[in-house]
Amino acid sequence: MFRKASVRWVVVLALAASAAVSAQAPQVIRMGSVVPEASPWIAALKSMGQAWAAATAKRVAFRSMPPNPSETSVIQRMGTDGLEAGALSVVGLAEIDPAFNALAIPFFFESDAEFAHVLEKLTPMLTQRLAAKHYQLVLWGHGGWVQVFSKQPIRTMADLQKAKLFTSEGSPDTVRWYTSNGFHPVPLAIGEIPKQLKLPTGAIDATPAVAPLALAMQFYKDAKYMLDVRVAPLVAGVVMTESAWAKVSPEDRTSMLGAAKETQQKLFSQAPTLDASHIKEMQASGLQVIKLDGPAAAQFRAAAEKLGTTQRGSIIPADAYDAVLRERDAYRKTRK
Amino acid sequence: MTADAPRWPRVALTRAEVFIATVAVFGVILLPLSEVVLRRLFSTGIDGEATFAAHFTLLVGLVGAAIAARDGKLLALATGTLIPEGRWRTLAAVSAALVGALVSAILLVGGVGLVRNQVENGGVIAYGIPYWWFYLAFPIVFGLIAARLIWRAWPAWKGRLLMAAVVAAGAWFATRPDMFLDASTWPWLLLLVGAAALGMPIFALLGGAALIIYFSNGDNPIQAVIGALDQLKSSDLPAIPLFTIAGFLLAEGRSAERLLRFFRAFFGWMPGGTAVVTAVFCAFFTLFTGGSGVTILALGGLLLPALLADGYRERFSLGMLTAAGSLGLLFPPSLPLILYGIVAEVPIADLFIGGFLPGVLMLGALMGMGVREGIVSGRPRQRFAFGEAAASIWVAKWELLLPVVILGSLLLGATTVQSSALAALFAFIVQRFIHRSVTSLADLLVVMTKSIALVGGILIILSVARGFTDALIFADLPQQLAAWTTENVKSPWVFLLGLNVVLIVAGAIMDIFSAVIIVVPLIVPIAMHFGIDPVHLGVIFIANSELGYLTPPVGENLFVASYRFNKPILELARAMLPMYFILLIGVLLITYWPWLTTGVLAFFR
Repeated sequence: MFRKASVRWVVVLALAASAAVSAQAPQVIRMGSVVPEASPWIAALKSMGQAWAAATAKRVAFRSMPPNPSETSVIQRMGTDGLEAGALSVVGLAEIDPAFNALAIPFFFESDAEFAHVLEKLTPMLTQRLAAKHYQLVLWGHGGWVQVFSKQPIRTMADLQKAKLFTSEGSPDTVRWYTSNGFHPVPLAIGEIPKQLKLPTGAIDATPAVAPLALAMQFYKDAKYMLDVRVAPLVAGVVMTESAWAKVSPEDRTSMLGAAKETQQKLFSQAPTLDASHIKEMQASGLQVIKLDGPAAAQFRAAAEKLGTTQRGSIIPADAYDAVLRERDAYRKTRK
Repeated sequence: MTADAPRWPRVALTRAEVFIATVAVFGVILLPLSEVVLRRLFSTGIDGEATFAAHFTLLVGLVGAAIAARDGKLLALATGTLIPEGRWRTLAAVSAALVGALVSAILLVGGVGLVRNQVENGGVIAYGIPYWWFYLAFPIVFGLIAARLIWRAWPAWKGRLLMAAVVAAGAWFATRPDMFLDASTWPWLLLLVGAAALGMPIFALLGGAALIIYFSNGDNPIQAVIGALDQLKSSDLPAIPLFTIAGFLLAEGRSAERLLRFFRAFFGWMPGGTAVVTAVFCAFFTLFTGGSGVTILALGGLLLPALLADGYRERFSLGMLTAAGSLGLLFPPSLPLILYGIVAEVPIADLFIGGFLPGVLMLGALMGMGVREGIVSGRPRQRFAFGEAAASIWVAKWELLLPVVILGSLLLGATTVQSSALAALFAFIVQRFIHRSVTSLADLLVVMTKSIALVGGILIILSVARGFTDALIFADLPQQLAAWTTENVKSPWVFLLGLNVVLIVAGAIMDIFSAVIIVVPLIVPIAMHFGIDPVHLGVIFIANSELGYLTPPVGENLFVASYRFNKPILELARAMLPMYFILLIGVLLITYWPWLTTGVLAFFR
């Protein structure tokens, strides 16, 4: 009898203690990414984390984890409860759902405003698709625009098709798409870019890249021409696992999304400035920006438009492609 | 009851392991080469080539580790052998195997979790082949390793079943990581260290430590397996099995004799000629491969017999090769130096210029030891004869062509993996069709089995070490260390001394690429705070890491050399001590005399 009673008390005390602990212990959100810690994006996300802690009276604690080796690894850890959140580029997001590839169609968007408009319109659909995979979209990020850096000047789509073009290894669909459209893609690890561009017999002579990467890896000194027609914005998104999001109270979720929105605005407003300053710095060290005049640019865009359609149903699900095209064209009509 | 089980299941399993690993090895060799040919000549390629090559490497590493476990060749500290033969030695072996099997069984649980996740959410590499087919190797291999550790530790079935029951019970706890949340890790870490001292494999020490840290944070064992997976599919890793196989194939014939004749003909006139050549050759090789252990694997089998046959003491030769395997990282186009430049945002050209004199200093120190050994040992010198020199080149032309093939292919734009695949194919063609040392499929399988077991033993340690490093990072230890340093260290000299220690330890427990990515962002701001030139910091980083490779008990060169030369780690550590001391002086000079780095740089700036 005594034994039964003591066991009952022990259980009650243990439950009470655990309830007390869970009432005090913050919900820790560990965010993984492949971005170096010293980057401005991580700094912005860390300050968002501080805003989360303040807005939720420290019920939520945000931790940006040191860089992972790959976005696949970040997704695997999120899927196995090793991380609660991930900051993923469009490549990683497309691993979760290929509809995100609709944000990276080459030469599809012409300006930041056009891209921002389409992104806003597509967000409900993409959020829904993420939710079906048990993720919650927290915010969008903008890592600047991808540009083409080449050893020889590129002025037309035919020039680009002739080039030995770097593409990330591990994306066979993209390689197949490039090849079927007459390009010469060379799948390599990103670390190979500087060496391959430096060697006269290197495997590549052109590469798409964002300006900070070209500057940090210094490969613009060998691929010293940059086409002034931008390929695509480097979109990123911070997503949280459904289970971690469910542990946050509805009020705290609202506060967190509010702080996230502010960070998103900051990232989107700083992207063009950072791009411009990086390009200016590279120009001072010899980078030549190839500007196309009106007709040449229009010709380039027209050729690119045809290319984009070939991604429909292969790289991008048909409904996502139709949606992005519809929203972009609707935006362009309003600007005419 | 003795353990005479029917032989056929074991024979069938052995054949299956060798078959899978051999197919995977040929995949790793042929895929990168086919890709180069198809891409350059026909503007096409193999879908997912690099991903398949990386996953075949994963298979080679894991199956190789299972083979090493079967043969009792998983690397362990030699301290267990210090216990006198008899009851105590047996008890020690059983205890070590029990803990090792328990760690393996928990990693099995993690592997099952990963496969389950990937069956549900994982993608397809290409041609409809999903990733999880390859990931199945994790639970199967960790299960095999656990079973084999138990099997070898106890000769009777009753004891084996008892051990298996204990291991299964322990593994059950691994499915409830919450039980360990916020618990002290020290008792468990001490248990692991104790078991390692009694002879538990080193992979279990690192893997077990990773698991304990993850558990104490409430994380599951899948996280340790994801860390191992990240390491096993990293893009340059296939170079390790490929250079190893190239080295093994060359070692099969009489390549060492031919090379020795060449070295003697050209350098026999100077004191310590062959030892000097060993240092230069290793540095030269490392600067192109970037990986320190790779050099020992590729050249150790050739150079050790050459040094021994030339009259150098075995101890000196082992020490020289182990130490020389980490030279070269300060010369262009060293990959770690490039990576440092990227991470720390320092011009890479400045690093190459700044690293030159320190690189010469470290290389010169080992060359000096070679000359000293030549003088002290009184090894007779021979006069240079032009006819003999020319003849030796002709005889050793195929062996001498190997570095030319590697260097040439790299300079023509091959990646490290493509170059190592070419080296392996070249070595195979030379031994099969020119020297005819490998005449049949059976010969080839013997070489393959030996090299795969060696590679497996190394890769399993490298992979779980990554899990361990990740666990430390997830536990926030590096950040805490950085915060503590900024708070408590006021003198740059004290900081540099602490940096020496931290970097040597970091170099000992993790590969240099991980170390750059993880440690550099933490130390750069602190170093700036103390006014240390970022180029100087980069050179300090790489020089210390070179020393870290040699630092017991887990410095990569030590365990790679232990495998390659079949010697206990402690014996190698003893053999390498004089070289370690000399290189340490070099590292201290590089650290505390910044002019070595910044002097030449100032001239160019």
